[in-house]
Amino acid sequence: MISVKSLHKRYGKLDVLKGIDCEIEASEVVCVIGPSGSGKSTFLRCLNLLEPITSGTVIINGHDLSNPKINTVLVRKDVGMVFQQFNLFPHMKVLENIMIAPIKVGKKSKAVTKEKALELLAKVGLSDKADSYPSALSGGEQQRVAIARALAMDPTVMLFDEPTSALDPETVGDVLAVMKRLADEGMTMVVVSHEMGFAREVADRVIFMDQGLIVEAGSPAEIFDHPTQDRTKAFLSRVS
Amino acid sequence: MGDYLQYLLPLAKGAGMTAILCIIAGVAGSVIGLGIGLARASSIGVVRWISAIYTNLLRGIPLLIILLFTFFALPLLIPGAIFSTMVSGAIGLTLFVSAYIAEVVRGSIESVPRGQFEAADALGMGYFLKFRYVIVPQAMRVMVPPWVGILLAMIKDSSLVSVIGFVDLTQAGKIVGTTTMQPLLAFVVVGAIYFFICYPLGRFGRWYEKRLSVSLGLPEAPVLVPATTDLLPASTDLLS
Repeated sequence: MISVKSLHKRYGKLDVLKGIDCEIEASEVVCVIGPSGSGKSTFLRCLNLLEPITSGTVIINGHDLSNPKINTVLVRKDVGMVFQQFNLFPHMKVLENIMIAPIKVGKKSKAVTKEKALELLAKVGLSDKADSYPSALSGGEQQRVAIARALAMDPTVMLFDEPTSALDPETVGDVLAVMKRLADEGMTMVVVSHEMGFAREVADRVIFMDQGLIVEAGSPAEIFDHPTQDRTKAFLSRVS
Repeated sequence: MGDYLQYLLPLAKGAGMTAILCIIAGVAGSVIGLGIGLARASSIGVVRWISAIYTNLLRGIPLLIILLFTFFALPLLIPGAIFSTMVSGAIGLTLFVSAYIAEVVRGSIESVPRGQFEAADALGMGYFLKFRYVIVPQAMRVMVPPWVGILLAMIKDSSLVSVIGFVDLTQAGKIVGTTTMQPLLAFVVVGAIYFFICYPLGRFGRWYEKRLSVSLGLPEAPVLVPATTDLLPASTDLLS
């Protein structure tokens, strides 16, 4: 589903990603952990071309992201993203936030989209908020709407960039529950997160990144309980 | 005092000419300013650069000089052309206003958080969809107060067209003043007419700004962007 070979990303003179190799299967849930500055968010953002690729190949569900002629709209219809800061559109009601992209980008009919949007809202547990503005919602609620908004485009892959890092501890659980449900339904997910509990419970694979490279990767049990690399051990001891 | 009432007619005609000139320059200047402003905020370097030359040039030259230029110099570029005072006045005023509006538009677009652009991108929205549905609606709230300020200043600055001989309200006032040999009375009346045009427009601007804040579900915007208001004539402070 996702094939990353020798991915390099450079900003001016700074090498942020120094050669990432990664294969992610369909329905796999991969958690990316690591210290800040390790490049994990940059890696994620390369997967939907929010960051252009400097060199290497990235193929997602048949889209070749390293091809300069790639149609970014097609890629982004297929790859959904959830941001740390939610980024809901404040001038639109919750339902409109979810509906705008399928209608304007996906060119779907309003009626069909509305039905789907209401279903998705129900799925994330926020049916009663359909006519509210984002400013009236708590952080956790906004993030759940953001997840619904991304899902409305029917993506085959969902990217999560530290989805719970900006949330109060009480609401983190609500959002993780939605993500877990998504994982159980077979969505391919790449999650950059500090939530080790989530990674342990839901992830099929955990990748530890540091300084632009993948240091170690394996099952949650392998990484959390039996890390082989010193840097991995050092990081885990600092965050646990 | 009664004999002077007949002079209200030429003053009214002058006011009418000022109104026509200001409507033309206001509308054309806003449309051009919006376009140049979007260009100023473009991700394409060349587009930004060329539009920057436009705005910096027109904001760095006094309106009086621009008007003299459009009246005397511009027709030389088109062989055999003579511009009427109305046409030169309209062109000069439009160009002047468009440059200030462009910078306000640029500032308002840059005030929209980066995350909004990214969320729109991630949903597959192209440039037009992104700006039309996400960015510009949010930029509007920030744009409106300084934009109204520029238009109000323009109404007052339009008095300069009297210098190229256009019979606007100010020029009518001069003529009436010399004809009646009561310049003070004439200019008090002229000043009052300008005030009664500008004050309601200022109030309208405040109302429109409040309305925009409500529809966004956001609190009122704070007084804003010193960099752009620096360059406006001090007279706009009165009405903010």
